[in-house]
Amino acid sequence: MTAHEISEFLAPIRHEFPDQRSLILPALRFAQEEQGWLPQGAMAAVAEATGYSQAYVESVASFYDRLYTEPVGRRVISVCTTLSCMLRGSDELLAHVAANIGTNGEGTSADGMFTLQRAECLGACDRAPCLQVDSNDQQGPLTHDAADAIIGALRADGAPTRYDR
Amino acid sequence: MPQLNSVYRHREFQDLLTLSGYERAGGWNGLKATLEMTPDDALYAFHRSGLRGRGGAGFPMGRKASFLPVDSGRPTYVVCNADESEPGTFKDREILDKNPFQLIEGVAIASYGVGCERAYIYVRGEYGHQWDVLERAIAECRAAGRLGPDAFGPGAPFDITLYRGAGAYICGEETALLESLEGKRGQPRLKPPYPAVAGLYDCPTLINNVETLAALPPIMHRGADWYSAIGPEKSPGTKIFSVSGHVLKPGNYEIVMGETTLRDLIFDLAGGLRDGREFKACWPGGSSVPVLTAEHLDTPLDYESLASAGSFLGSGGCIVMDDSGCIVRASWRLAHFYRHESCGKCTPCREGTGWLEKILGRIVHGDGRLEDLAMLESLFGRISGRTLCALADGAVAPVQSALELFRDDFERVIEQGGSPVPEPMGVINA
Ligand SMILES: Cc1cc2nc3c(=O)[nH]c(=O)nc-3n(C[C@H](O)[C@H](O)[C@H](O)COP(=O)(O)O)c2cc1C
Ligand code: SF4
Ligand code: FES
Repeated sequence: MTAHEISEFLAPIRHEFPDQRSLILPALRFAQEEQGWLPQGAMAAVAEATGYSQAYVESVASFYDRLYTEPVGRRVISVCTTLSCMLRGSDELLAHVAANIGTNGEGTSADGMFTLQRAECLGACDRAPCLQVDSNDQQGPLTHDAADAIIGALRADGAPTRYDR
Repeated sequence: MPQLNSVYRHREFQDLLTLSGYERAGGWNGLKATLEMTPDDALYAFHRSGLRGRGGAGFPMGRKASFLPVDSGRPTYVVCNADESEPGTFKDREILDKNPFQLIEGVAIASYGVGCERAYIYVRGEYGHQWDVLERAIAECRAAGRLGPDAFGPGAPFDITLYRGAGAYICGEETALLESLEGKRGQPRLKPPYPAVAGLYDCPTLINNVETLAALPPIMHRGADWYSAIGPEKSPGTKIFSVSGHVLKPGNYEIVMGETTLRDLIFDLAGGLRDGREFKACWPGGSSVPVLTAEHLDTPLDYESLASAGSFLGSGGCIVMDDSGCIVRASWRLAHFYRHESCGKCTPCREGTGWLEKILGRIVHGDGRLEDLAMLESLFGRISGRTLCALADGAVAPVQSALELFRDDFERVIEQGGSPVPEPMGVINA
């Protein structure tokens, strides 16, 4: 993603923020849409488009769990393991998903298709045990079979055209 | 057991996801009534309604709005806190998903009262679906002139900007949210100054939770007196409780404050427990509040009653555990949450939450000693009340109360050499 593309994305919303620093987070989210994570080049482009140093942009990005400064799979699967989900079998769900995609717990599958991560409360405890693919609607309550079906469908879909983590 | 869908109007009316559907259901009547008043009268109406903040602290909404200086010579902002991340809480999600226009109308009403021309809604990063719904609703409002240059009348502009977080519980804390919205790391600020005086971009700022703001349209349409007459004097109105955990019908329930007990909520509305199971514990206001036991089930649900029972109404996220669950394991899991989410700015919080998790972890895994309980007790006072924000107090409250109320369980787990993983409830819903 180039600084120019990011600037074009920011142009219509610039006037909504009296301090242009506020554009850094939207710019980072937009930059992440291309590859699903933020390589150095993307950080540099965000820095150029917003007028802040790359070091500053990186210090902001590193604070947020859903901005990835390391490569992740084409799909990020977040299994919530906070209390309400734990009581409904989240730890077993996490282990089951890991076995399906061939990771040992959290991590990225060998084929680069999936990153599995343990998440904190996703605001969907009524759907416990639940998971979230990228930042799509939270899914649940999930049996292990239902989780397999979700993963199977994702495999069939391949890579998304735009990553919304 | 009175239920009243005043915020959850989508449960009474069809088609609230389109502007025309919302208008047919009486949408914008609240704003219309507000625009006929002076801003001062609007603020006075907020105050008289008795509405209290629904994000956790329960601070009177009208009073907070009246703290904003009128003649600061700077713009005034309204910020809606849609970061909903308190464990057990998913009430705002349903407003965003199903009734977005009522939130927009509420934000507009509050903004008129405090003289704000641009409001911000900060949505947690994980709510991608909810973001899409809200984005469409705002676009529809702009196209219809409900937002824009003449929103509050000819030449009286008002608009809303959506802002998306990126995964950080702490950004729900109001000053951390403002930092994040200003393009910084989301770490809380020292207070005072409070946001009412120096908030977003150092300007006077009113921050309220989604449910608080979405409560305003019916209040302004039907009148502050209508609202203040519902429920107890100090906790009037309706409140949405999210119920989850070991109940058969997890979900959101909007109840009349003070007229429903914890027992009604859990055993009637939320369907009760599985056959053969006994109630063990619940965290009635999200996970950052003291845990309650079966003895407290007849407590009415309102701010004062829950406080007298030793807990808090908090966010209204009621997490229920039956006797298949282990209180020590549950406490350990919560300690993990706070350790993970601590922003690291204050030493007592950063180190203390780490210790809580570590000590509880070794008890759960069979490496605990009885002295660990004394060590936990000595930690509580060294964390609570010694930090910049209330995350640390929220980390201590559930653990400290669990140890007070269920000490036998902690001792038994230590003596038995750990807490075996219980059979989870899994997918059994009524
Ligand atoms: C650690 C922490 C997390 C919080 N998370 C949220 C949240 O997700 N949503 C929210 O509305 N308030 C949250 N709050 C409370 C806010 O700081 C603030 O009190 C609230 O947004 C004010 O709105 P209200 O008066 O309408 O409740 C949190 C507070 C703390 C200390
Ligand atoms: S109490 Fe914890 S979360 Fe709050 S500012 Fe201090 S370190 Fe950060
Ligand atoms: S605890 Fe899992 S979604 Fe809330």
